Amino acid sequence: MPGGLFAREEKVAERASGVLSEAGQSVRSDEMETLLKGYDKLLKQTKKLMRISDRSEAELNRIAKALDEKNAVLEALSGKLSKYLSPQIYQSIFTGERDVEITTERKKLTVMFSDIKDFTSTTENMQPEDLTALLNHYLTEMSEIALRYGATIDKYIGDAILLFFGDPTTEGVTEDARRCLLMAGEMQQRMRDLSLEWRDLGYERPFEIRIGINTGFCNVGNFGSDARMEYTIIGGEVNIAARLEGIAEAGGITVSQETYSHVKDFVEATALAPIAVKGIKRPVTPYRIDRVSRSDDPNSPRLRMSYDGLRLVADLEKLTGAERAKAAEDLTALLKRLKA
Amino acid sequence: MSGAGMDNMQLEATDRSPAIDFKFDEAVFTITGESYPEDVSTFYGPVTERLFAWLAEQSPESVVFNFELIYFNSSSAKVILGIFDALEECAERGVNVVVNWHYDEEDDTMEELGEEFGEDLEHATFSMKKFSA
Repeated sequence: MPGGLFAREEKVAERASGVLSEAGQSVRSDEMETLLKGYDKLLKQTKKLMRISDRSEAELNRIAKALDEKNAVLEALSGKLSKYLSPQIYQSIFTGERDVEITTERKKLTVMFSDIKDFTSTTENMQPEDLTALLNHYLTEMSEIALRYGATIDKYIGDAILLFFGDPTTEGVTEDARRCLLMAGEMQQRMRDLSLEWRDLGYERPFEIRIGINTGFCNVGNFGSDARMEYTIIGGEVNIAARLEGIAEAGGITVSQETYSHVKDFVEATALAPIAVKGIKRPVTPYRIDRVSRSDDPNSPRLRMSYDGLRLVADLEKLTGAERAKAAEDLTALLKRLKA
Repeated sequence: MSGAGMDNMQLEATDRSPAIDFKFDEAVFTITGESYPEDVSTFYGPVTERLFAWLAEQSPESVVFNFELIYFNSSSAKVILGIFDALEECAERGVNVVVNWHYDEEDDTMEELGEEFGEDLEHATFSMKKFSA
């Protein structure tokens, strides 16, 4: 705009200063009138613009407030909805990493199935309120452990839990399997503690759970329709986990050969007779886990180290006599080279 | 080209500036759309310069000015007030000036702004025109 948005007002001011310097103390009344007219106009415009600006601000404030309220409502709502989803899924949807659409991927997952042995007969004499409280307590405890290890909880099916490792995030197939086994070990340990608590509370026949674990390719993603979808896994490998759970002992863990191969460094297991699983052509060899020794326990006789370029598996109970001395010698030499 | 002796002026609307349709030959002027240009002076400078010169120099029988605005910022409001002043001055000289303020029937803000802008017109005829989007 020639002279800018305030050209007119600037002209008035310029004129005023011109008049003043020319006339000194005495200003001609017609000049004065022109100046006053300009000033009046300016005043009027300023008032008007101020009102407009105030109104816009008020409107903006109103909108901002309404938005805040709406956000608070949405936040509370999404907080409630999130409890129906596994936290990883919730995260990946809310950060926009994952689209909510019907797509599935084939991925190598470690799948865990657990249920309470003889749930129906154990609970048939219980009051429904007691049963609900007990079941919720059990599911809460198990879910807390699962989430701590990074599991994706697929669903609760009554007293059964289906969860998996490897999607939406994976630490690699071996680490996923390893975490799953450590988690299962901790779940069984926790169940033993809980059964003492429950006995104290007067439940005669505390729950015992069976756990089956398998590692293999599954279809993972959103199944269903556009109107109602479910993030879940399907495939024969899921059935294997369920079958392994079925043959597990109460308080026990049974894994497939594939899972066992990823965790054998830190578990003691017994191979069982191969079983047939519907829909799977090959026979499945189950391994009963007899003991889980955490490799990060410094007092464990079993040690496991895995780096790119170094892999170490040690069973200090087995390693005795001359072999143990030789191993110490070799490792000292290796240590020297590592530090050099 | 009748008496005006000037080309008509037409600018297409952009995201931030309104459409300008100044028919000098018919003495009908229209500003349509949203107005919050990056630099108000750059956008409105050439537009108002020609308009003000025409209003000052020409003495048509009548002038019609249509504002059909959806939104404008404070700087644009200043420009609009300037146009109102120029139209009022033209009317003061005896030209039949009609200013039409078009607003969406659901837009209370634009309605209130129109009333506010129109209240100072004494010689020009001001009329509020409701439309439904």
